[in-house]
Amino acid sequence: MSARGRLPAGAAASTGWRAFLYLLMIAIAVASAFPLVWMVLSSLKTPAEAMQTPPVWLPATPSLDAYQKVNELIRVGRSFANSALIAGITTAGILVTSLMAGYAFAKYRFRYREVLFAITIATMFLPPIVTLIPLYRLVGSIGLNASLAGVILPNLANAFGIFLMRQFIAGMPDELLEAARLDGASEFRIVFQIVAPAVAPALAALALFAFVYHWNSYLWPLTVLQGNSDNYPIVISLSRLLSYNRSAVNTGLVMAGATLAVLPPLILFVFLQRFFVRTITASGVTGQ
Amino acid sequence: MIGLRKSIFAMLAPSLSLIALFILVPIALTIWLAFTKWSVQTPFSSATFIGFDNFREIFGSTSVGRDFKGAMINTALYSAMSIALILPLSVVFGMLIHQAELKGANILRTILFATYMVPMIAVALVFSKLYSPTEGPFNQMLAWIGIGPQPWLSSPDTALVSVVLLNVWQQVGYFTILIIAGLTQIPQSIYEAAKMDGARGPALFGFITLPLLKRTLLFSVVIALINAVQVFEPVALITQGGPVGSTNVLTYHIRRVGIERAQGGLGSAMSVTLLLALVVTVTAVFALARREERR
Repeated sequence: MSARGRLPAGAAASTGWRAFLYLLMIAIAVASAFPLVWMVLSSLKTPAEAMQTPPVWLPATPSLDAYQKVNELIRVGRSFANSALIAGITTAGILVTSLMAGYAFAKYRFRYREVLFAITIATMFLPPIVTLIPLYRLVGSIGLNASLAGVILPNLANAFGIFLMRQFIAGMPDELLEAARLDGASEFRIVFQIVAPAVAPALAALALFAFVYHWNSYLWPLTVLQGNSDNYPIVISLSRLLSYNRSAVNTGLVMAGATLAVLPPLILFVFLQRFFVRTITASGVTGQ
Repeated sequence: MIGLRKSIFAMLAPSLSLIALFILVPIALTIWLAFTKWSVQTPFSSATFIGFDNFREIFGSTSVGRDFKGAMINTALYSAMSIALILPLSVVFGMLIHQAELKGANILRTILFATYMVPMIAVALVFSKLYSPTEGPFNQMLAWIGIGPQPWLSSPDTALVSVVLLNVWQQVGYFTILIIAGLTQIPQSIYEAAKMDGARGPALFGFITLPLLKRTLLFSVVIALINAVQVFEPVALITQGGPVGSTNVLTYHIRRVGIERAQGGLGSAMSVTLLLALVVTVTAVFALARREERR
């Protein structure tokens, strides 16, 4: 951000304009936060309060009953474990494969490098629905339908991660890598012990991207799991609450479920957001 | 770099083989299956070649054709409305956060971006309640300012717009960050020079900010389009494509035909059409931007 006080006197004079900008900023923040605040407040309401018209905004006696009810209807613990496995393993895979491929594209010179890279990047812009139908059959034909492995395996590498890593690794001085080679370090050692720490902030951002994306992912797990509810991640288990969505009595119940699903990505975001913003700003580009 | 050949292979093999197997091969399969009659419940080898029949059917006048063309139009409308709202908002938000030098701007940035972390399923559930015609807070708030209750998701006239609005709410923070990234690339000295020459607010925006933000805006349009085409959860969960097909969008429709009804060939033809439409649109956007540049 730029230094203060560099605006000419004429621009700074309009206090009214600045007051308007502050009001605008507050209005945007309120509008942005409102649905989430309302979600949490509603999850604490009693069924009677949820029914009232006009709506009650603040629960008179906040209670966690709705959360308990959610836990009776869907297996929250199991779903959380499934989500954590899916998002965790996928993220770990993406970090490793992106780091290696990003390093190769950034620091090796070889035939067809540009073509391979261009093809890889092109896949970044492909909406998943385009490949969903054959992918469903393909994963089924290797016996992974309805399993967590089927959810995870196709996502262990992605173009965005490779692109991001190449961008950041390209900025590393070659001398550093040459010195390590002269010391007899293997290429794998260079990638994981020299390159990885040097691009740690970008890796943190990629980890957040990947974890949140795959925690939230709905279309592919829904398709590949084929109703095997033992393996449902939380976002799919939640859709079972929808049969309760018809009447307002269960608003609290549905909102409690939504709150549970929102918490892990938001908590992760709070811890990693500074890497996130810095990485997007530095790379100038982002995806997924 | 001699002797590194093995390393090159080892570094690239894991990611490129995964991408080849789970993205490139399925693209090729989609294109081939589009010309076949094939049930998704049977092996690929059972697909029988039928030429352009699937394409004739999805563009024909039967119910299959009507539903698909409806889904194409809905998706185009949905994408256009999403982009038309997200881009201007993200530019305003980005300038407010980055250029206005307001205290607390970083807090706004965090709040805006946090919505992007919320799973779409939760967004859909929350908004289905916010939109509720009787108990929902949106109609209550409209009443405060003297506007009558809206049907939101329950009328064919307003359902698609309602889905657009929840999408805008979720995504605008992400595009704001992209715009901020673009704004940081504009050298401060250009603004200062222009101010010396007496340029003020609107002129600074029109002659400096907007032209220098063009690459970012172009990228944002493409990403917003690709994202818009993927809308699924609110439709699958809340509207099921209705009322009267008004929210039947392509991702939902293709999955219903190709997976749920197992008509893999027909669904693949729809996927190929979508892919072609996207390639044409993105190419047109870039061509338009390049022509602007030359002028």
